[in-house]
Amino acid sequence: MATSEGTTAYNERMKRIMDAVELRQPDRVPVAFFSMFWLARYGGISCREAMYSYDRLAEIARRAFLELQPDMYAHPHLLTAVGPVMEKMGYKQLDWPGHGTAENVSYQYVDREYMKAEEYDDYLLDPTGFYLHTYLPRVGEAFQGLEQLPMFPGLYYMRLVVASRQFASPGVQRAFAALKETGDEAMRLAEHATRFAADMAELGFPLSNGATAPAPFDFFADYFRGSRGIMLDMYRRKDKLLAAIDRATVFLTRQTIATCKASTSRIVFIPLHWAFDGFMSLDQFKLFFWPSLRKLMLDLIEAGLIPMPFWEGDCTSRLETIADIPRGKAIYWIERADMVRAKEILGDVVCLRGNVPASMLTTGTPDQVDAFSRRLIEKVGKGGGLILDCGIGIPDESKPENVRAMFAATRKYSP
Amino acid sequence: MGDAALIAGNAAAAYAERMKRIMDAVELRQPDRVPTVFYTMFWHARYGGMTCRDAMYDYDRVGEVVRRIVLEFQPDTYALPHPMTVFGAIMERMGYRQMQWPGHGTDVNVSFQYLDREYMKAEEYEDYLFDPTGFYLAKYLPRIAAEFDGLGRLQNLPGQYYIGLILGMRHYAHPQVTRALTAMREAGEEARRMLSHAAAFGKEMADLGFPQAQGAAANAPFDYFGDNFRGSKGIMLDMYRRKDQLIAAMDKAGVFILRQALAAGAHNPSKFVFIPIHWAFDGFMSLAQFKVFFWPSFRTLLIGLIDGGLIPMVLWEGDCTSRLEVIADIPRGKAVYWFERTDLARAKEVLGSVVCLRGNVPASMMTTGTPEQVDACCRGLIETVGRGGGFILDGGIGIPDEAKTENVRAMFEAARRYGPS
Repeated sequence: MATSEGTTAYNERMKRIMDAVELRQPDRVPVAFFSMFWLARYGGISCREAMYSYDRLAEIARRAFLELQPDMYAHPHLLTAVGPVMEKMGYKQLDWPGHGTAENVSYQYVDREYMKAEEYDDYLLDPTGFYLHTYLPRVGEAFQGLEQLPMFPGLYYMRLVVASRQFASPGVQRAFAALKETGDEAMRLAEHATRFAADMAELGFPLSNGATAPAPFDFFADYFRGSRGIMLDMYRRKDKLLAAIDRATVFLTRQTIATCKASTSRIVFIPLHWAFDGFMSLDQFKLFFWPSLRKLMLDLIEAGLIPMPFWEGDCTSRLETIADIPRGKAIYWIERADMVRAKEILGDVVCLRGNVPASMLTTGTPDQVDAFSRRLIEKVGKGGGLILDCGIGIPDESKPENVRAMFAATRKYSP
Repeated sequence: MGDAALIAGNAAAAYAERMKRIMDAVELRQPDRVPTVFYTMFWHARYGGMTCRDAMYDYDRVGEVVRRIVLEFQPDTYALPHPMTVFGAIMERMGYRQMQWPGHGTDVNVSFQYLDREYMKAEEYEDYLFDPTGFYLAKYLPRIAAEFDGLGRLQNLPGQYYIGLILGMRHYAHPQVTRALTAMREAGEEARRMLSHAAAFGKEMADLGFPQAQGAAANAPFDYFGDNFRGSKGIMLDMYRRKDQLIAAMDKAGVFILRQALAAGAHNPSKFVFIPIHWAFDGFMSLAQFKVFFWPSFRTLLIGLIDGGLIPMVLWEGDCTSRLEVIADIPRGKAVYWFERTDLARAKEVLGSVVCLRGNVPASMMTTGTPEQVDACCRGLIETVGRGGGFILDGGIGIPDEAKTENVRAMFEAARRYGPS
């Protein structure tokens, strides 16, 4: 009985979301749950616990979803519970509670140069070789030693057989052992995550993010060159940056499709970090940012997936440009751009998501949230194509009563 | 001076004398006499009364037999046997599939045999060009070695980053990956055992006064794809059907082959880089094709090795007479061209002022001829090709597996008996 109720609810929710995505009027505006660390506040645990305790996190998230009844949710384990794996891996691109930040704050990305300017050529010559010998050992201690692996494409026949000696070099051995140990922990996390998703599906809640992808520009900016490096590259090595972006797009597309196909959700979350108006000009956006992102999205759509770029910051000047995608196949989640204006330009093309301000959820009142949500539902929800959410999901320090008000609004108001 | 010191002193002098003899030949000066080299695949098995299988597995016996040979025939330089043949146990641990060898597909008493097959499909040139190491991990290594099968699960690494990289770590705990990494480690440990025997043997021979003939090895980019990726049928079709891809792939592979050889050469007591050439001979491709497909990427490799302080030792298998003018285009006195069948007198005319020649007592004569025939052949080579320096005496393909011992002896003795006329 419970199972069949769950199935009905699941199907209803999926239909509501797909109606919104495909620009039909749903029975009501769907609402999504996405948060980094608000669940910790809600459940009375520290951010550190949210990153380490698979079970506690599951129990709290279950409670929150049963209370808020979202139409879809982003998997909390895959967003936050990566502490034990990162520890085994000696991951270096984040500071996190107990590892560089306080127990009770979010993890923080460490903006650094992980690939030198002159290494674009190495990346382009042999991307996987660059990963094994150079990049991975820089971003995770578990990978250190892999630089002692042989350069595979120079090996063949007996050169290969004899060069296997390098597989037994101390560094490679250390790395293999550390990778196995990290892998075991990651397997435990994946098992918890799978179990939680199955549990939620049984209760009728669909998963919102089947995979995460970056914009190829962000990929190099965030994880390779750092903010300073990428700014210089746009001026000093434009052609190499564009060639590397093209190359990376292929890998990112493959990886995203493979990951998403293994998930129960077809939606691909694409957080965009450097697309906002204040960082680059519209001309630069059209040259450096949009073509590869558009290609990624089109390929995901072609593969039957639903790209959901999250346009962080104010991207108002981009709206006309980013309208150039197939109709009803994606979700644009808008952090700060005015949604009514976005609806005018993009309303015929793409479902919008957002965007109750983070400040309002954190410091405002339930009445303010209710009024803001109502305006979004009535204006932006008209004709379908809206998923209600906060501008950046639920901020870590939101008041629970404000969160409740947002979720309640979708059941109270209609376009 | 004690006896030991005297012997050591004599050995050091002998070592220096041999090196000078060889380098005089390489640098196109007249040495005191024509130098010789001992190179074989399996003749030492015959000489030492062991099977080819023993010669591929028994590190100690191979060392002991080759030591005896070198001491008896006193070559000026010798090819270290262990990395050339004693890799049976390593191949076994990785489940290597590109070869049949004694006890694994061939009789215990014959040489190993390369398996000419398609290890990369025609449409995979794109994958190789796009991401060569990725192609190795995902496709090539699992195909050429059974135990590397699980590496296929580590594909698309450059698509992983940040949280996705962290979550993706679970692949390293997959049983198939674990199995592959374990096989890699254990094959590696066996390779280390083999190489430590090789290093000890090389040191022992150096202490006895004998330098090594080759350190690193490389191959021509065309052979790299012809032998190890596409097979003979595939590469022939590619020359007609996907010329541009093949050339682009050779250019790319050339970068890696060069880097690998430079790295190996830097850590080796011998500066000679052995490069056996398989598909360059007259009967396989036209001269026009040789100039398009074979020579440009190979010449780039030769120049790269020379610039890196190494000495390419190229074994031109088959008859390469029509190539002589083309391959003369390298820096003077910096390489060795070893010809299997090309007439060395003719080669001397074209290449004598450019490169040291090596060879080429016919394999058939060493195997079925008489010591007198070998003696006459060697004398002819020494007197004509040896004139003015630039010659190293050897068999056309070293000492054939079934050569008669008296013929081998005749060859080494000839170098001491005759001088250039």
